[in-house]
Amino acid sequence: MASATPLSAVNPPSSPSQAPAEKPSAPPVNILPSQLAKVYSYVHPVLLLTLCAARFQALVQDTVQELLRDLPWLALLQISYVVLCLPPAGSTQAIEAGSDGEEKKKAAPRSPSSPAVALRPGKPGYRRKQHTGKHDWSGAWAKLMPAFLSLTLTSLLATPILAVLLVLFGAPLTTHNPETVLCAAHMALLSATALVYVHGVDGYVWKEVWGIARPVDPVWGSALGTGLGAWFGAIPIPLDWDRPWQAFPITILVGAYIGYALGSLISRTPLLYGKRIQFVPTETEETEKKTN
Amino acid sequence: MVILQCGWATLFANLLLPVGILIFSSGFFPYKPLLPGLATFNEIDRNATSPVFDKVIFMVVDALRSDFVYSNESGFLFTQSLIREGAALPFTAHASSPTVTMPRLKAMTTGSVPSFLDVILNIAESDTSSTLAYQDTWLAQLKARGDQLVMYGDDTWLKLFPGMFDRADGTTSFFVSDFIEVDRNVTRHVPHELARSDWSAMIMHYLGLDHIGHKSGPKSPFMASKHQEMDAVVNEIYTAMQQKSHLQSTLFVLCGDHGMNDAGNHGGSSAGETSPALLFISPKLQALGAQLQSPIEQLDDLQYYQTVEQADITPTLAGLLGMPIPLNSLGVFIPEFLDMWDSGAQKLHILGRNAQQLLNTIKATFPNSAFDDDTIASSCASGADSGIEGAQCAWAQVQQLRSSNISADEAFSMIGPALMRFSRVAQDVMSSTASNYDVSRLCLGLMVTAIAVLLVSRTVFHECTRSAHTGVFLVFMIIGYGSMMFASSYVEEEQQFWYWIWSGWMFYLHIRFEASRLSSRSTAGSPPARYAALATLGLAISQRFLRRWNQTGQKFAAEPDIARKFFPGHPAVFWGLVILTYVDAGRHLFKSLPSVALLRLSALVLTALAFMFKVNFAAADSPELLIDSFISRAVGTWPDSFSLVWQARLVFGGLACYVLLAFFIQKRSGNARTPSTLFHEALNLFLMMQSRATNIPLFLVFRVQAMILSAMSLEGIQVTVTTLILQYMTFFAFGGSNAISSVDLSSAYNGIGSYSVILVGVLTFVSNWAGPIWWASMSNLLRPQRDSGVHSPAALSTFHIAASLVSVMAACTALRTHLFIWTVFSPKYLYTIAWATANHVAVNMLGGIGLSYLPARK
Repeated sequence: MASATPLSAVNPPSSPSQAPAEKPSAPPVNILPSQLAKVYSYVHPVLLLTLCAARFQALVQDTVQELLRDLPWLALLQISYVVLCLPPAGSTQAIEAGSDGEEKKKAAPRSPSSPAVALRPGKPGYRRKQHTGKHDWSGAWAKLMPAFLSLTLTSLLATPILAVLLVLFGAPLTTHNPETVLCAAHMALLSATALVYVHGVDGYVWKEVWGIARPVDPVWGSALGTGLGAWFGAIPIPLDWDRPWQAFPITILVGAYIGYALGSLISRTPLLYGKRIQFVPTETEETEKKTN
Repeated sequence: MVILQCGWATLFANLLLPVGILIFSSGFFPYKPLLPGLATFNEIDRNATSPVFDKVIFMVVDALRSDFVYSNESGFLFTQSLIREGAALPFTAHASSPTVTMPRLKAMTTGSVPSFLDVILNIAESDTSSTLAYQDTWLAQLKARGDQLVMYGDDTWLKLFPGMFDRADGTTSFFVSDFIEVDRNVTRHVPHELARSDWSAMIMHYLGLDHIGHKSGPKSPFMASKHQEMDAVVNEIYTAMQQKSHLQSTLFVLCGDHGMNDAGNHGGSSAGETSPALLFISPKLQALGAQLQSPIEQLDDLQYYQTVEQADITPTLAGLLGMPIPLNSLGVFIPEFLDMWDSGAQKLHILGRNAQQLLNTIKATFPNSAFDDDTIASSCASGADSGIEGAQCAWAQVQQLRSSNISADEAFSMIGPALMRFSRVAQDVMSSTASNYDVSRLCLGLMVTAIAVLLVSRTVFHECTRSAHTGVFLVFMIIGYGSMMFASSYVEEEQQFWYWIWSGWMFYLHIRFEASRLSSRSTAGSPPARYAALATLGLAISQRFLRRWNQTGQKFAAEPDIARKFFPGHPAVFWGLVILTYVDAGRHLFKSLPSVALLRLSALVLTALAFMFKVNFAAADSPELLIDSFISRAVGTWPDSFSLVWQARLVFGGLACYVLLAFFIQKRSGNARTPSTLFHEALNLFLMMQSRATNIPLFLVFRVQAMILSAMSLEGIQVTVTTLILQYMTFFAFGGSNAISSVDLSSAYNGIGSYSVILVGVLTFVSNWAGPIWWASMSNLLRPQRDSGVHSPAALSTFHIAASLVSVMAACTALRTHLFIWTVFSPKYLYTIAWATANHVAVNMLGGIGLSYLPARK
């Protein structure tokens, strides 16, 4: 993975030469403005880390059993986090619009004026109305539907994809298959639940995710953190300490949890929020270089 | 001109690298003061003890691990019966690292602990500076007495002791697959030598068991019959000793020079490698009444019976044969044999002589330490029981006891233990201080190399700032690699780092690639973009294969992999892949040649010849790959007209013609790429010649990777980083590691009839660094043509190699008292020298210059 690059060398995203219309990208998604959401969004990563630390011994002793046992709890935690703290798919625009005039306009100048491609294009207006209104049944339904969708997609799509990625990054293929799949399931719950909940099946967003080109926000930051953490988690495995926790998925999973928490916390600092990693020099930069 | 492009700084840096290496090495590799000449008896010594034996039969079975003889899975049934009768005294002889044959033979004959430098000399076998012709050994002592010596077996003995033997027949271990002939060549001499009485030492060195180990490990199905074969030799000799009068007082020593690990290799310091068996056999030994139990249950630590040092063989033999102990011996007389003498005075004299000789070597090594009565108080007061103070104290106690009035009867029981204690402490002191580092030289070497780093750092800084992310990644990689050198397990498992960093780099390439696709989506949907999405996926899958091809390192070395587990079980798949690789190589060579029918035909013929050579070589070197395969049936029908040497020479000659052709056609052809492509294809075939058969399909994987990489149209600096990582990664994928035991010598003699240091050295390097060389040449093809003026790959790779040299040197300096310094860090240093001089300076730099001549001028 790109190592330190995503965090250390972020270019300022706004460049006037790039017309936003060319990139109909979904804007960064922040935590919902309500008090409960803000508080819980800080509690949640800490809670996950505590869970990870509390179950560590059991994880070392019987990895497969423990991973399996923790899976529903992790799913529950992730779902309650996204429902409590994040805007569901299609309502992104509403949130952005609703919190207009606040600091976000400065922090995220990239948010385009054109409408975001949403899950069901007809609904944002309807949702916005619902959202500004009281929390009634349909409001809950609007949140539970994406939550259900995200759980389904996470388990059906993200888990196998992550399992394949794990193997490609060096996980054993001929042995430890249950461990790999369960590790992928945990990582999928950590990274994909919020992404699916917030973005639905917006093709362009997922292309950006695949190309690591999303603007930084807590959702994307925690997902990237999960992957990076897992990558760095492989470091202690070759050491000759002969500790049982050096066995294959444990360090990687712990790294993923830590990466998730760090990514989720760091990405909402004003320094990073909304910024994009600029990998390909833009046309203007390139011509500048040539003239130099 | 790659180097001149990037300026004199890089050139100077590359000149400084060998200088730094030389200075550091001169301070790092210990120089031990050797006492010259032969030990002699004075008048008292000569008459004090009577020799117990007058002849010795010294039978070395290469890699005879202790459990091969002692455990209940052993085939040495007769030998075990001798242990039960008490006619054989069994020991486990600790062989210190490096556990390769030549240093071990030195230890067993001189009684000293050989320096680490002997490992290199073990590989450069014929080096004459490593002979023991001028050193004091028990063989030299026998020779000085006017006795005759005979030798059969491994010709290492002949190289170590030129002119020592009156009759000898050396065998070379050319093909490790030869389990039978090497040993038959030794055994056939045994009967008539046993019939003669003119020798007083017969040395035999059997190689077959080691070959089986290298080939298929200690649990090989061939092991049992080899045990029985060796046991039969023991039986034959023991029977002769009982029956023939001139062998009445003969001592028969059966020992291994080293053991083997679970993979069947040796060179390191695991329990398996350092625990060979050692048995002293004679009907006379029954007098000692040691009737030990045998066989014994399999032990995990392999320490059967009593563990002694391998160096202890020398003083024990000297004592039993009534000779002076060789001057530089660090051995301690094995006390079990003291009861071969009746009187306490004689026993005491044996121990006293041993202690006195050790004291002399200590005094030579520590000229500043006094061993007189004055030191009693100071050294013993500090309570030290080890180190030089411990030795001083122990000697002081001996002196004290000697000066006190003890009756002759009690003398042995009082002074004997004190002498033993001193000898043991002295042995410890001398073995651990075998390394006298010259720290100032270490620091100087380190500084010179650091200057090389600084020289290129300016260019590298410019490069890095120009392409920010790649630069950050490069710096992260170099820092990560450098800090890794300080942890022994990361050094042992270096391949993990490269696989890991390569996965990160692939991910980075993927991001860059996706980002450019995302940004260019609106402007133009280029047709290759659709497949491009699969590009990094292809890279990832191919690297996953590389990773599993050969398991190396320490921790996971025994896990199943493709080359050693999968292929022997699936010969059809294996040979299919090999044929595919040769077809691919032939096709590319064909296409890269100018369209002259005769030339192009020659490419096909040459490829076919190369393939035939590989098959014939595999049939001789690793026949297990041919069992039950369609190739074996085809091979049977081939005429056996050519020797392997000539086949190899023919292919090498043809390839050399192509390289000459490449230089010739570049003057005429319009396409600048043609000559370097032709060169690369010729090199490709040459590297395949020099690779193990099981590694051949890797070249197909390389081809796929190169195709993907060229489709990604990388920038100059990305090509440099990519090939840098690939060079290291493929080195390990071919089965290399940072352990001396993993040096692959099987292709070192291709096309060579007789030994030649330079040729064998070059071929050995090429066969171990085949992957890095391939990618060095490929980087030239991958590099974009236009920005070659801006980017300087030479500076970047110089920076990397100099920085890694600095970190390895710093690790070796800082950890010079570390337990693993000789087993992990020094081998790593040797490997880094090879990386820096042979791979970097010779292949990357000089090769780069050579290649730049090919396409540049039109």
